[in-house]
Parts: sequence; C-alpha cells; structure tokens
Amino acid sequence: MVTAVTTTRRAACVVGVGETRYAKWGGITDASEYQLAVQSILAAIADAGLTPDDVDGLASFAEDRNDATFMAADLGLPELRYASLSWLPGGGGACAALANAAMAVESGAAEAVVVYRSLCQGQFRRFGRGPGNLPARVGPPRVPHVRRATSLLEAHVAFTMPFGMFSPPIAYAMVLQRHMHLFGTTEEHMGHVAVTTRAHAARNPRAVMGGRPMTMDDYLASRMVSEPFRLFDCCLENDGACAVVVTTTERAADAPKGPVAILASAQGALHGFGHGQYSNVGMPDDDYASAGARGVAARLWARAGIGPADIDVAQIYDHFTGLVLLSLEDFGFCGRGEGGPYAASGALAWPDGAMPTNTHGGSLSEAYIHGLNHVVEGVRQLRGESTCQVDGAETCLVTSAAGVPTSAVVLGRR
Amino acid sequence: MTERWFPDEMPMPAASAETMGWWEAAAEHRLVVQRCAQCGTTRHPPGPLCPHCRSSASQWRQLPGTGRVYTFTVVRQAFIPSLSDRLPYVVAAVELDDSAGARLVSNLVDVDPAEVTLDMAVEVVWEDMGPELALPRFRPAPATTQGRGR
Repeated sequence: MVTAVTTTRRAACVVGVGETRYAKWGGITDASEYQLAVQSILAAIADAGLTPDDVDGLASFAEDRNDATFMAADLGLPELRYASLSWLPGGGGACAALANAAMAVESGAAEAVVVYRSLCQGQFRRFGRGPGNLPARVGPPRVPHVRRATSLLEAHVAFTMPFGMFSPPIAYAMVLQRHMHLFGTTEEHMGHVAVTTRAHAARNPRAVMGGRPMTMDDYLASRMVSEPFRLFDCCLENDGACAVVVTTTERAADAPKGPVAILASAQGALHGFGHGQYSNVGMPDDDYASAGARGVAARLWARAGIGPADIDVAQIYDHFTGLVLLSLEDFGFCGRGEGGPYAASGALAWPDGAMPTNTHGGSLSEAYIHGLNHVVEGVRQLRGESTCQVDGAETCLVTSAAGVPTSAVVLGRR
Repeated sequence: MTERWFPDEMPMPAASAETMGWWEAAAEHRLVVQRCAQCGTTRHPPGPLCPHCRSSASQWRQLPGTGRVYTFTVVRQAFIPSLSDRLPYVVAAVELDDSAGARLVSNLVDVDPAEVTLDMAVEVVWEDMGPELALPRFRPAPATTQGRGR
C-alpha cells in the first residue's frame, strides 16, 4: 500500500520590523549597542504580533559583536533552532541575512527568525577613522621586520594599510575615479544622490539628518575627504539598531500588519572579485568600475521572474553616493556607465522620479545600520507606511553593499 | 639611505605563510609577483593556490618595477593624526609591467597630486622601514623608461 504524501512548499515572508531611535555618532549613551539590538528585536517581534516565545531563529551578518547565542539566552527564547552569520563582509550581508532567515523558515529548520543589526559607532571604533585592522605603532624606532599575521585579514590589509588606504572612502574613491575616467561621471552626478536622499530624509522623523536640508551648492561646498569623495558623499556614522522578523505565510495569516513576501534573493561574488573589502583593485578590468553585483543581479532577476522595469521602488545600499550609481547600472535600471546621467535626470527622486530610491533617506541621511534599515524601508513601502510612500507600490528591490561580495532581495506585496 | 614620505605611526605590515616571501623580496628592494609554476597565471596578493588551474606550486617573478596608474585618489583627510602635516597624499593602484595585469596598492610620491592622471607611467622607489622591511612607493617614470615592458 502506498501512502500519498502531500507537501506544500513553505514560503517565507516578513511580518515585523522594528528599530530603536537613530542618533548621530555617540548620540546614544544610555544604552549599549547590545541593549539597542535587544530593543530593536523586541520592537520587531511586537510589530509582528508575536512574542519571544514564538521566535526560534536569529540571523545576522559579518562583524557582528552581538552574538546570537547570547541573544537567544537573554531574550529567553524557548529553544534556538537556527542561528547564522553571513560571511559577506560589512554591509554586503544584510540582504543575505534576510535570505538565510527565509531559507531556514522555508526548509522547516525554524518557524520564526529575527534578523538584526545594531551599530553604536560612538561606543566602538569609528569605521572612517583610520586603521582598525593593524595596530598603529607609537613612535620610533620602526619595527625592523615583518610580523606574523594572526588572521587572513591582517595579512591581506598589509597590502593596503601601510600605504594609507585606511578606510572605505579611500578604497571606493579609487573605484569612482576610474568610473569617471571611463564614462565621464561627474561630481554633480554623485551630488544628485546626496541631495535627493537628503530630501527624502526631511520627511522621515527617524532620520538622523532629517532637519538638515542640502542643496547642490551645499554638497559641492563640503570638504574633500578622498577625491572624488566629499564629506557628503560618505554615509553617516551613527548609533542605532533595527530588526526584521521572518516567518511562514501560514503563520503570517495572523500578523497585524500583513505579510510582505520575499519574492527572490541572491548573494555572492563573481570569480576574481577579490577577497574582501580592500581587495577589489584586483578585479577584472570589466568589473572594477562597477558594483561587482552583475552576477547577483542576474540570478536575482531570474529567480524573481521579473526585471528592473517591474520594480516600483528601490532601496540601494549607499555607503557612498557614487556606488549607488554603479548599483543602478549593475541591476539594470540604466546602461553601463549611465548611472550618473540617470541620477541627474531626477530618476531617484520621490514621488515623480522613474525609480524612487532610498525613500527613507538611506545610509547617507536616515541612518547607517549596515543596510538592514533599507530592508525595513522596503517592508514599509509595501505596507504603505513609508514617509515617502510610492502610491500602490507592489515590488521593491533592496540591495546590500556594492564593492564587496554582496546580496539583494526583491520584496513584494501579497 | 632612502627618503621617508610617511610618518612612523603608519600601520606596519604583517605577513602570512603565503605572503612572507613577497615581503622578504621587498626587504631586498625586489618587486615580485607570485606566478603559478604550472600555468603561469600571476596573482596578487599572494595565495596558497592558483585560482586558474588550482596548482599550489608557485614562483616569485621579479618585475622591472615600472607600471601605470590604474586608478588613484588624493587623500585630504588625516585618518591618523600624524598624517595631518603630510596631506594631501596619493593612494594609487599601479598595474605592474610584465606581471600580466597584477595591480598593487601603493603611493605616488615626488609628484604634485594635481598632476596625477590615469595611465601615467611610474616606477618603484623603496622606502626602508628597517633592515628587514621596505615598502614600495612609486614616482613618475623618466621619459626613457616610459612604455617599456608592457
């Protein structure tokens, strides 16, 4: 006798989002980074209409100081059934962490997974402030020999740090310099990204830079950090945390704000991309002056069964203005080399642009939470809750950091 | 006796088993690139395996020390305090001649940052940090060496 087994594919969706207040660097002194992570997770769980008793998974991405195993114990989760940390470096992994949570839910490994990120740069080393991976020596005499590296990363940054490539703006300024050389991209093109997202932030009460309007003249007057990047080309450094709850569509039936579907995800890096944050100078010539996301984009659109023309609103990782242009190219919103003119056409501006982008203000003007706040904004758009709401938005592209192994998701309204 | 372009407080390199040979050559003012002993593909930074043919056999190929600026940036913020009187400085990716396209992150020295362009021909100049450590920097190449060895 044969018993027929009927299986229904479990589909993952987002049912809750939450965040703490966002404040400028060092602006939060009454709570630790870890406490903020806890606050944002509780807020997201409450938004989903759940309690910590319903949660059995935690997901984050590289360089997270706030270990999931501590978090599970401190939240009092009845049982931790899934915990993962994406290897994609820095801001490359926010969408990957969401995708990993979705895969855990869809496989049946877990029922409800929280993705979280807390970043209190005032309490730790400031990313943009000099060498963090190699100890700076104090005064002479010089070390007369090469030390033994204690990690792969330390040996790797030995080829960048001693030459003063300390910080992401320096590494990515070099990418934009070549893009300008090849395609005629200008400073004003990048300025359009800064000015447009600042205007979006003006409507967002959570935005760190909400009360600081910016004109193109303001942008051009900001001090140069590493040519061609000015201060206003660089994302914020700040304090805050956010979190996202992923569960099955079956469980989401009870979610007070309804489900937002994860229509597709992709993550990774093309061959020859390099080892990480500072190694993209070794990329193939065709890829160097790009976001390095062509492979992720191709797989994402193939899985989603839709393309850039079907997207209603986009949240594009914006650690630097220029890399938004490169991501728009890689994900097919415009042709290779056309990111600058595309932005200058007003395409990114809410509400009338061809592709309203970073409607929360992005990392440039809302907050720098390694792009997990871009996922939160994507969810809000599809719920109709954004402060720059795109009328009738049904699809949102969210991307993670350009210039490192990265990830992206397409969110949809079900 | 070589010049010193950067302050003592700059980070010093640390080496892995794979990269130590490169730094040993640098200490002798030899600019090298790791080359697969099986298929000849070059790779930088050095690693345990040829990403092309997966051979673990490798050699150090000595390079002429010339190259072209692939891209660069003029840094105008002192990310460590002692750099404040050395600003601006130039960080460049130099595509090294005879290396099959390997690019090295380094500095351009003895040049007005406003004069730096992509594809500019450059040559190595060594900065001794101590008896067993030297860092390659680059300066504009004299006209006689320009275009050689591509």
